[in-house]
Amino acid sequence: MPPAVPTEFFVMLSMILFALGAMGVLLRKNAILVFMSVELMLNSANLALAAFARQWNEMDGHIFVFFVMTVAAAEVAIGLALIVAIFRHKQSINIDDLHQLEG
Amino acid sequence: MGEFNVWTSLPAVAPEIGLTILAAVVLLLDAYLPKEKNRARNIAFVSAVSMAVLALTPFIWAPAPNTSELFWGGMVRHDALGQLFDVMILLAGAITVMIAVDDSGVGRRGEFHLIVIIVTLGGCILSSSADLVMIFVALETVSIPLYVLAAFRREDNKSSESGLKYFLFGSFASAILLYGFSFLYGLTGSTQLTAIAAGLNSEIVSGNLVAVLAALLMVIVGFGFKISAVPFHFWTPDVYEGAPTPVTAFVSVASKAGSFAVFMRFLIEAFGLPAVSADATSTLVVIDGQTIQTFWVNLLTVFSILSMTVGNVLALRQKNFKRLLAYSSIAQAGYTLMGLAALQAQSAIGQDIAMASITFYMFMYTFTNLVIFAGIILFVEATGRENIADFAGLQRRSPWLALAMTIGLLSLAGIPPAAGFFGKLFLFQAAVEANLVGLAMIGVLNAIVALYYYLIIIKIMYVDQGIDEDKPLAMPRSYAWVLGITSVVIIILGVIPTPIFDLAQQGAAAVRLAMGS
Amino acid sequence: MALEQFAPAGVMIIIATILAFIILVISRIFGPHRPTFRKNAPYESGMKPIGPAQRRVPVRFYLVAVLFIIFDVEVIFFLPWAVAMRDLGVYGLIVMGVFTLMLIVGFIYEWKKGALEWE
Repeated sequence: MPPAVPTEFFVMLSMILFALGAMGVLLRKNAILVFMSVELMLNSANLALAAFARQWNEMDGHIFVFFVMTVAAAEVAIGLALIVAIFRHKQSINIDDLHQLEG
Repeated sequence: MGEFNVWTSLPAVAPEIGLTILAAVVLLLDAYLPKEKNRARNIAFVSAVSMAVLALTPFIWAPAPNTSELFWGGMVRHDALGQLFDVMILLAGAITVMIAVDDSGVGRRGEFHLIVIIVTLGGCILSSSADLVMIFVALETVSIPLYVLAAFRREDNKSSESGLKYFLFGSFASAILLYGFSFLYGLTGSTQLTAIAAGLNSEIVSGNLVAVLAALLMVIVGFGFKISAVPFHFWTPDVYEGAPTPVTAFVSVASKAGSFAVFMRFLIEAFGLPAVSADATSTLVVIDGQTIQTFWVNLLTVFSILSMTVGNVLALRQKNFKRLLAYSSIAQAGYTLMGLAALQAQSAIGQDIAMASITFYMFMYTFTNLVIFAGIILFVEATGRENIADFAGLQRRSPWLALAMTIGLLSLAGIPPAAGFFGKLFLFQAAVEANLVGLAMIGVLNAIVALYYYLIIIKIMYVDQGIDEDKPLAMPRSYAWVLGITSVVIIILGVIPTPIFDLAQQGAAAVRLAMGS
Repeated sequence: MALEQFAPAGVMIIIATILAFIILVISRIFGPHRPTFRKNAPYESGMKPIGPAQRRVPVRFYLVAVLFIIFDVEVIFFLPWAVAMRDLGVYGLIVMGVFTLMLIVGFIYEWKKGALEWE
């Protein structure tokens, strides 16, 4: 059996995904894209957790990933519902259009 | 941890089990009750009474005195601190349901009460969780339903907008928090908080100081968002103003109390406390010769000063009452952060007071904020306006409402006989015990600034001439009960704070002993 | 470093990229270009395209999708239980029973509220 891929590679990949997600949240203007970037960040954490769980040879990390996936699914349901609600009011999901509340 | 036994583990999660059953019952009630006028009111009544009764369970199935035991495989702790936070969150849930009943568009729909119950459930788990998985799941059980509640008034543009803003910022903060958690797990190989502390103190982490600090920073950013500390506060004013008022009340107390409870536990259990005497062991995490506590204490001190100052200064120029309370709540988070910074005290009494003062502050803050928000809901329902100037002459329209709100405002300002006085006093005392005299001084200065805008509101209510002064405000019975009970609790806590504070101090001592320090 | 063992895969990716590029360039230079409306139209299995590709979908599809995803994801909790079922015994069975009961209560709610009705 060939030697396994070292954990550092997975962690590097997860860091790249996390950075991409964070930049997406900060730079994107479309609410759905912002939201997808957040999901990317959650999944980068999942990748790191699974990689660490393999490194430590323990189940905790894998179980954590299950729970994060469930939470992310709930967040998807709520997030899309909120975006639909906003779209019905404004016919737009650009976050720059959210300026009812300022002062 | 010993042998796993379901029956001995059940008391540790008694309120949570009760809330889960209650949630299922309310769900079925909402599905099966016939459509009639008092339908939502009945559901609200069932929810509120059940939650108030469940607030007794932490005392019926109390933890063994002076212990802080781990249950359910190291997932939750059962101790007096968790007990107190459970009680305040359950009562906050019950009161929120009561004050939402007559709010148009919110309380008249059965699912509102269901979602409040689920947030309460999340808050109860949160306040006693001792494991990263548990913390994350509980935090999201609090946050995700609150996003829905913020956007609950679908026909209202502002409500939807505040919900979306809350959701986008909140899920961003959760993701950062989770990434910090994943690194803590990766560095130590455990998700249990005390095991993380042991892992961080062992050889395996040496040379990874930067990674530990980065993970800690991410976790602090995540929690800082949930407690709305500066510089992570930008969502607070918009959400407070846009969300339906009962929801604002609930966000400001339940989510905040639970988050402070778990933030405190996280810092103590995963990063340790200094030894308090020669024979005690320090559980402080030291990596490559650097004490991690120095890092987070200094960071939290800065956040505390920033939150107090920014919150109070910006509150001075607010016209909208809910927005003013948003900035006020940022400032209150700043005061409470002082208690977290005081955890660095070198004496047993200092550490205990630090933990107990945070608990007491949140306890009194829960009732204080709820009484003010109950008053605002009542006023806005009757008049449709929520600017501070509209409250002019309130005393002549409804003397009891004005009195209850005055008690609440005095408590926020920290003036005796209201509970806020002792809340602030204990926090300043904790800061002084930890040799943070400068921080305590800044706190006192801020309290004086805050006094100004709270007293202005009282002056407007009692002295200023309003346009509708001859129109008295009717007070529905549910609001009369809520305002009366919360005001009395505030006064009682302000006159005899010792029972609650002593209980909190015992709980704090139990946590400290469980850490081995 | 374990990076060397990925060298063949790396070489493969580089060669594939270059090859694809070369083929595209060659056909572009030497091939005849006679575009017509039919040729440029999107390929839909020989059918005539009806309407634009990006059109609005009724929001009801979204509702069904969300209800599906919630219950779909809950299923992942059955997997660890199924793996360790014999070790967990009756206790595990009861716990999963409670979990399933919760899901069923949620399902009854969404049914009674009419979320599964199409109209």
